[in-house]
Formats: sequence, C-alpha cells, structure tokens
Amino acid sequence: MKTRRELLRDLIVSVGGLTALTACGDAPVLVATAGGGPGRFYSSGEMELVSRLSDLIIPRTETPGALDVNVPGYMDGLMTDWASEETGNAHRQALREIERRLSARGDFLELDDVEAVRALTALDSAAFGEQAAELGGYRSFKSYVTRAYFATEGGAREELQWVAVPGRWDPDVLVTDRQGA
Amino acid sequence: MAEAIEFDAIVVGSGMSGGMSAKELCERGLKVAVLERGPEIVPERDYSDQLAPWESRNFDNVSQQEIEQHYFRQYPGVSYAVKESNKHFWVKDDEHPYEEVEGTSYDWLRGYHTAGRSIMWSRQTYRLGPLDFEENLREGVAIDWPVRYQDIAPWYEKVETFVGVAGSEEGLSQLPDSVFQPAFELTGAEKAFKQRVENAFPSRNVINARIAHLTDATEEQRSLGRSNCQARNRCHHGCAFRAYFSSLNATLPAAERTGNLTMVHNAIVQSLEYEPETNRVTGVRVIDAETNEARTYTSKIVFLNASAIASAMILLQSASERFPNGLANGSDQVGRNLMDHVSGAGAAGIMRGFDDRKVFGRRPSGGIYIPRYANITENDKPFTRGFGYQGGARPVGHANGQIPGIGREFKESHRRPGPWRVSIGAFGEQLPNPDNRVTLHPTRRDRWGNPLALFEVRYSRNEEIMLEEARKDAIAMLEAAGCEQISSGPVNLTKPGNRIHEMGSARMGRDPADSVLNGWCQAHDVPNLFITDGAFMVSSACQNPSLTYMAFSARAAHYAADLLAEGTL
Repeated sequence: MKTRRELLRDLIVSVGGLTALTACGDAPVLVATAGGGPGRFYSSGEMELVSRLSDLIIPRTETPGALDVNVPGYMDGLMTDWASEETGNAHRQALREIERRLSARGDFLELDDVEAVRALTALDSAAFGEQAAELGGYRSFKSYVTRAYFATEGGAREELQWVAVPGRWDPDVLVTDRQGA
Repeated sequence: MAEAIEFDAIVVGSGMSGGMSAKELCERGLKVAVLERGPEIVPERDYSDQLAPWESRNFDNVSQQEIEQHYFRQYPGVSYAVKESNKHFWVKDDEHPYEEVEGTSYDWLRGYHTAGRSIMWSRQTYRLGPLDFEENLREGVAIDWPVRYQDIAPWYEKVETFVGVAGSEEGLSQLPDSVFQPAFELTGAEKAFKQRVENAFPSRNVINARIAHLTDATEEQRSLGRSNCQARNRCHHGCAFRAYFSSLNATLPAAERTGNLTMVHNAIVQSLEYEPETNRVTGVRVIDAETNEARTYTSKIVFLNASAIASAMILLQSASERFPNGLANGSDQVGRNLMDHVSGAGAAGIMRGFDDRKVFGRRPSGGIYIPRYANITENDKPFTRGFGYQGGARPVGHANGQIPGIGREFKESHRRPGPWRVSIGAFGEQLPNPDNRVTLHPTRRDRWGNPLALFEVRYSRNEEIMLEEARKDAIAMLEAAGCEQISSGPVNLTKPGNRIHEMGSARMGRDPADSVLNGWCQAHDVPNLFITDGAFMVSSACQNPSLTYMAFSARAAHYAADLLAEGTL
C-alpha cells in the first residue's frame, strides 16, 4: 500500500508534469516537481510540503485546484526569480515552522485527508486568531498560494471568471450573478 | 564637426506638454523638431497592456534584486505602477542618478522615451479655478500670477475637447467644469458616501473623479485611432485602444499627420545656443544617448517641455557671458520655487449594506473626488490654501488570501466581493518657496557629461498642519458616512516629488526682476524662448496639473506662431 507521501507524489505527477505544465502556459518556471524531486528553490521535501498545503488550501472542485494549475511550481519560480535571499530565507523559515507545528503528532505528510484538514484548519484558525503574531509566516505562505492560484489561467479564468476585455463598466451588479471581470 | 539642422521651432521633450506644444505649432504650419532624450516607444512592441495575468510570472513583480540594483528610487516611489512587464517605462536609477542636499530627500520619478510620463500618468484631470490664480496676490505669497482664469478658460476648453475627459458637470466655482464625456458611474457605496457626506457637511462636495479616458470618442479622436475605454485598467502598461490620453496616443499622431513634425529620439540636450547680438536662442546642442555624437538643431523659436526640473537644468547649463547664472535667469528664479503636491493623509473604512453588490469591468482610474473646501467654503482652518481628496469605494475581495479558512469554502469565498471599503487620500497644495530648488551639482556629472540635479526641497509648516487637518477631516467624513473599522495611520508626508507634479522652477510673472517668464510663457530675457511644462506655475493649487500645462502650452504655441507670422520674433 502506498504511503500518503507516495500518493502525493503520484498526484503531482498526474496533474503537473513538467511538459504538460509548460505547454499550458501556466507555469513560467517549474523544474523537477514530478516524482517529488526538488525545484529550483525548494528542496524535495519542501516541494512536497508546499504541494500538500496548496492542495488543502485550494482543492480541486468544479474548477481547477492549486495543484491543477501548478501553484507549487509558480511559487518555486517566485522564490527563485523574484525573491531576494532575505525573502527566500524568511519563506523557508516559515515552511519549517509550519511543518513543525503541523507535525506535532506525527509526520504531517503522512496524515490522511481528514487528519490533514483537521491539523491545517487548527493552524489556520490560530494564525487568524490568537496566534496572529507568531504565525505571520503561515499567513504570508497562504497569501503566496492564493495569489499564485489566481495568477494562473485556471484560477483567474475558471474560478474567478476573469474577463480580459470587459468592454464596459457596470458599478452595480447583483452578487448572485456568477459573471466575473 | 556638429551638423546644424534648421527648423521653425524646436520642442524639447515629447511628454504631456511637449506633445501639445508640438501639435499646436505643427497645426499652425511650422516645421517642428521634437527632441526626445529617450528611445522610441513602439506600442506594438513596448506596450504590455494585453498580457493576461498568467502571461506574466511572479505576479508581474520586478525582482527584489533588480529593484535594489536598478530601481531603488523609482520602485519605492511608485511601486503600484512599476511592474516587470512595463519597467522599461521607468528610468534605471543607477543610470540616471541625482543628489539631494543633506537632510532633504526628493523623489524624481521619470520615464525617458517617446511621450515621457504621459504614458504612465494616473490621468486625473482638473482645471484650476479663478481663486487659484488670485490667492498669491490676496495673501501676499510669492508673486501674483500674470494670468487670470478667464485668460486660460478658452484654452482649457480647446484642450479638453481634443484630450477627452470623462466627468460630471457640477457647477463648482473652485473647480470649473471641463468639456466632458460621460463619467464612469459611481458605485452604490460611492453614491451613498456622497449623499451622507454632503448631508453632514453642506460645505463639501463629493463628485466623480475627472479622468482623461474616452467614453464617447469624437470623430476627431477616432480619426487618430482612438476608441472608448474598455474598462481593463491596464493603463500603466500602455493602451492598444488609445483610450486614455497620452502624447503617444493623441498629440504626437496629430502633429505627425500635418507633415510638419520631425521626431528625434535619443537626443539629450546639453545646452541652448544663445546669440547676444540678436538676444535670441539660435539652436539646441544635443548629444546622442547611444552614440555620444554631438549635434546642433537650429530654429526660430524654442519651446522647453523637458519637465520643470530638466527645463530649469537646461537653462542653468546654458550659462554665458550675458547670462552667467544660466540662460534667461536675470531674475535668479530659475530652479527655485520647486513645488509638488503633498499626500500622506487619509482614511479608509468598511461601508455595510452593499455586500450583495459587485462591479463588472475594471474602472481605469478615479472614483470619487472631493474638491477643495478649505478656505473656500470653510474658513476656520489653521493653515492657508487647501487640499482635495481622491478616493473610491470598492469590494475588498480576498485576493491576498488574508481571511481564515481552507478548502472549498475558502476558495469559493473569492467569488463573493466581500465588504465594501471606502478610502480617500488628500492631495494638498505646496506653497512656493524660493529656497526649494534644483541646482546643478558642482562636481558630479552623468555619463553624457551633464551635471547631476541637486535637490533641496523641504515642506513648510503649512503643509504639515494642512495634512494633519486633512486626516481629521477624512476620518470625520467616513464616520458621517457610517463607515466601520475606520483606519487612518499617522500622517506621513509623501516625499517632495512623489506626486510627480513638478512645477514652479521658472515661474511666470509681470516683473522680469522676480520671474523668468511673462504671462505667455515667454522668457522675459530671451523673446524666442518659451517654457510650457510645469516650470511656469506660480502656485501649485491642489489639482492635478497636466491639463493646465497643456492649456498653457496650446496658448503659448499660438502666441508664438502669431509673433512669428508678424515678424516679431
């Protein structure tokens, strides 16, 4: 039986191999995500953690999820090509802290979905509640994940229904209307 | 040996005012050379407005290392506008350095290329009002404007008709209406804010921002390839629809189609040639930015439109035996009275009652504008002059992921607009002060041999008090509008220069002893020299000034053309 970690690797391969991602234009930079290998910035272990967290934060629903649009690859590129050494180190430190907190009762990456959601929900709740000061790194990570997701074609066009050329300005639209822009 | 090339008129600079000067001179039949210090912008190649979000990497952010190396002044100054895909619109600070006098700081934010900063501006467009031309005299501040509102009103009308300004007629004396195209309608929260604030403060108005975007393009505008705004809000990247006004979208094509325009790129002006026998400028010496080749262009008249700072520097660089302190600087006012607008005070809050509403389209600029009321309709202020607010109301959204939750619910929460946030920020008037100035650095030179700019600009106590009051007023208006969770940080004045409204460095006036230009933007000391960028401004008012620069440019161009036709020049 495959471990949770092996299943995750398979998932990454199935939804986001290098060739497919490059072809759909969603991933400006993605190196060696497939098979659990390291990225250009992330180590193999970090890539696995980022992938698992991204998948839990923005899962596949009727629209693509974070892994479908390769949020981990986007973030690997971001940390490699945009971030300064200081920013990259802070991000890496945040990942270590997130993993430490999530693995208090065992390896987070080995948890099943129910347990993983429970652990991450608790962390998320603390980060936006009583431990806001200590968990700034998590909030920053979540911001990168969310922004990366909506910066991809799948996130922008399918989930947000972003329209390239609205052609008009309507200042008053009922929210029940799914129309984007 | 430098080659001399003869024109009727030379316009130095192709930005907001230079484009208008060139258009009007060309349309009057003059052969005009526009000398632009930067490279040519080719929209099909250089605009990035049609990139979708997923076609830019790293959120379209310039890398932090590159900011540190090349954009260490530009990016902190205008981080909202400097992106990876449009960074070529902004100068690299390491290639175009400047200096500040110890204890002062200045944001000199620039774009060197065809159309200058008219490509990157934020497009808020307002007339000055009658009071703005009279307050110096009434209060004994600096010198009197030699021009009154009625002198410039017809030129505002002419320029606005060409430019295209979306706005609403309000009939306010302190902010005269322009020739308008339909305004971008206010959002529901903005309409509520307007109603509540105007009820609570009858002496204040909340109006549509006035912005230079086409919403009902005229035949003339369409003939230049311009069309209505498509509500994409990609304006800082250029506009393939030519819907917002820029020199590249409007005035330069209009000048070009006369057949009288010669555009010269990469031409960095070193100095103006002055002939003491005739008391005329005879030519412009330039150095090619790429080849370092020296050339001289000659003409009957010269318009300086290089920006208030660069035009002053060109005069200072053109010292001669007749003008040892710089060309046309008999008054010693060149480089002085450098003004900008001052921001750094405002407030924001959540307005309930609109959570079931959202918008379609991305409004390109503006929202609401609160015209100046201080010392006009309210006279109990502990400062002189006043400020206007720019702002708007829009859904907060959750694009940064800064709300609790994970999974489907978190993901789909982004479909909902979230609460509506109202924000307003002040733009205040900076008083003229002769000690606020740009001079030539005594020792440092750029790679082309020109002296670096040396800035010495400080705010006065009036600006500090004004912005403190602006913060209090902003909070009071948000409270009156029923906003919740009102936030307003301590007043933190923007650096001088940060609003990119440089003006005052060669002011106009009636007396050659205390001003550089007469009321026609013509140099007192050198009759065939005109300066119609922000340098001519005698006071800054608090309105965004580009429209005023263009109106004075058009007026001066026709005046100069008339003098040439009469044989006076």
